[in-house]
Amino acid sequence: MRKMSIALLLACSLQTGVAWTQTESAPPATEVKIGDIAPDFTLVDQNGKPRSLHDYKGKKNLVLAFYVWAFSSD
Amino acid sequence: MRNFQQNLAKLEAADTQVLGVSMDNPFANKVFADQNGVTFPLLSDIGGKVIRQYGIYKEYDQFHTKIPAARRATYLIDTNGKVVEMQVDANAVDPTKTVRACERRKLTR
Repeated sequence: MRKMSIALLLACSLQTGVAWTQTESAPPATEVKIGDIAPDFTLVDQNGKPRSLHDYKGKKNLVLAFYVWAFSSD
Repeated sequence: MRNFQQNLAKLEAADTQVLGVSMDNPFANKVFADQNGVTFPLLSDIGGKVIRQYGIYKEYDQFHTKIPAARRATYLIDTNGKVVEMQVDANAVDPTKTVRACERRKLTR
């Protein structure tokens, strides 16, 4: 009985292991790629000021740094 | 975002504006910016419309719940609005490549 439950446990952990590596090894492709025109947007900053991508066109290069959430370590 | 703040002077010297984007609300971003000395704009994409448009929307498993957010990603967009460099996920954390690309663009102009 104990042997069987150990085998079952092993099988379960193997399966989750496989699922884990599958999701990790194949990150989904992004919609916007190098060479594309970046989609325009207007979003509000931390001081309530609206900022649009087109504000910077013809003036400055733009770094869009997407982050997961505020207070994340980096 | 601290990494970008540390490189902000170099980026600005290369005529580059940095914009952070997440699904946080402006109040959270304000506290985050103040606590970490972030002086560039942090934009709120509540609902994730822009994040979906860029194709970097992701649901994170946290505390047995799915939390929607952006993947970590950095896009360098030139003055014509074209994407010239990009890094996604772990590669997007270190801004060195982006900084170098901006400096190169400045030199070639």
